[in-house]
Amino acid sequence: MTRRFTALGVLAVVCAAVELVAGRGMSPGVVWDVLNGGGDATERHILFQLRLPRLLVALGAGACLAVAGLVLQSALRNPLAGPEVTGVTPGAVLGAVTATALGLAGWDSPLAVVLAACAGGCAGAALLWLLAGRGRGDPAQTAVHGVLVSAVLGGLTAMVLLVEPGELGSVVQWLVGTTEGRVWEHWHLLWPWALVWGVAAWLLAGPLTLLRCGDDIALAAGLSARRARTLALMCAVALTAGAVAAVGALGFIGLLVPHLAVAVFGADLRRSLPGAALTGAVVVCGADAVAQLSSRLLATALDSGRLTLPVGALTACLGAALLLLVVRRTPSRTF
Amino acid sequence: MNESVGIHVEGVHFGYPGRPVLRGVDLTVRPGELTALIGLNGCGKSTLLRLAAGLLKPDEGRVLLGEDDVTRLSRRATARKVALLHQSAPAVPGMTVRHLVRQGRYAARGPLGMLREGDDPVVRRALRDVGVEDWADRDVDALSGGERQRVRLAMALAQDTRVLLLDEPTTYLDLHHQLDVLQTVVRLREERGLTVVMVLHDLAHAARFAERIVALREGRVAADGAPKQVVTPGLLAEVLQVAGRVGEDPEGGWPVCYSDHPIAAIEYENQIH
Repeated sequence: MTRRFTALGVLAVVCAAVELVAGRGMSPGVVWDVLNGGGDATERHILFQLRLPRLLVALGAGACLAVAGLVLQSALRNPLAGPEVTGVTPGAVLGAVTATALGLAGWDSPLAVVLAACAGGCAGAALLWLLAGRGRGDPAQTAVHGVLVSAVLGGLTAMVLLVEPGELGSVVQWLVGTTEGRVWEHWHLLWPWALVWGVAAWLLAGPLTLLRCGDDIALAAGLSARRARTLALMCAVALTAGAVAAVGALGFIGLLVPHLAVAVFGADLRRSLPGAALTGAVVVCGADAVAQLSSRLLATALDSGRLTLPVGALTACLGAALLLLVVRRTPSRTF
Repeated sequence: MNESVGIHVEGVHFGYPGRPVLRGVDLTVRPGELTALIGLNGCGKSTLLRLAAGLLKPDEGRVLLGEDDVTRLSRRATARKVALLHQSAPAVPGMTVRHLVRQGRYAARGPLGMLREGDDPVVRRALRDVGVEDWADRDVDALSGGERQRVRLAMALAQDTRVLLLDEPTTYLDLHHQLDVLQTVVRLREERGLTVVMVLHDLAHAARFAERIVALREGRVAADGAPKQVVTPGLLAEVLQVAGRVGEDPEGGWPVCYSDHPIAAIEYENQIH
């Protein structure tokens, strides 16, 4: 188990290193120089004021989304649950976009964005809860209702955007999910939030493990299943909202990374929750590095200097393929 | 702690909207007794077990575990007194035997206690009790039906309660594993003085392993007593709606049933449709 954590930690460092050198305009050699105290003012600014916070935000957001996904999947006993298919992510996006459109929040007031995203995420989850009604126990039904809720919330977001186009550029970034232009302010807001709710989620590892066994068994073993589930959902919504406020709706991380984490670290959530955080950080950071490298290649090929590929586009494509695998492997047997 | 605990069910009514299930059940299970609950599907056997485990609240009447009213106890406090083995359980991907059995300690250790590492002697004893300690690190989902049932029994035993409720512990098992599970229950009950109530569909098992048989019919107790008194052709007809004869095991002396055919199958069908 320790070796798996170490291996993943090494992978995280490698991804982080690639991420730091992946951007345009600075060769790995220059980056190394700057890290060792050299380089001119511009180079230092690019590395310490742009690339480093971007890297940290990518790591943090990935960890948040992955933990939120694992908490959701355990609490709802649904392998197809994830922040993006339970209305949490689209709700958070709607909250953030609406608050920005109404002038209540914006790039100059990031905390308001987090709170608006939180409120939206709760509303999205509540909407699914009401809509699913008696079918809550059935993973497939919940997934179908989740798609419905996501579509409705996406439509509402589009309406807000049409009425109040405002900062359209930054809003579109939210919709797809990107780490472009994230600075220290985003990181300073993200890490305490992620730490508090991440620790809260880890403290719920015992009840969550029992919820994975099904409500009947959990209740018989002495767990107040409903209360535990409510607390767990609060953690999941808060973590998702934090990540959405920082990087937008990064697709499929919360849905698929938990499966990877359980495959690697087992169903003991005391280990697989931190494992999921690490895996999520690695995946988002790695995807962001790949997105930047491919942006460079594409820009050269298409001869367009400003072209950038958002990391969300990449995770969505990667995720769709992996989701297919999960769906085919999901067991439905009882004993 | 090691004192046996009895169950007192007093005038319990319970139902779902438009469908009464239990219509006034009175039952006292003495400490250390091994009781079998029998009856047709839907007669309220499982409901009675769930009420005794505090998972449902009676509409009328009350259920006492020892001295305590079950509905007044917290979920965790109840689970420290009574363990319930459900009829079926969903798959638990990625969980090992040891890990699943460890979940039985939740009531004793609490949410934060579950975070601590460390082997629990009660978990080790539970694994040993059902003879699964040799493959405790295998995945639960990879086991056969009989093995899984033993693991689930171990999880209930890990709750270390004085009362053990088993809802059809032998369903889906072949005869070999049915006897295996029942004999384990009988042995543990003798060793530890557990109070055991189990729902059984097989009257032969009930007559052989239980000290006392309680028959439910349409939400009421229809017969109650030692197997020899209760298992009669009359009981077969009235409670199980089967025509049959009753003999005696030539060696053990317990009653043996020879069931012939369902009674008034057509009327019964009409009644339920």
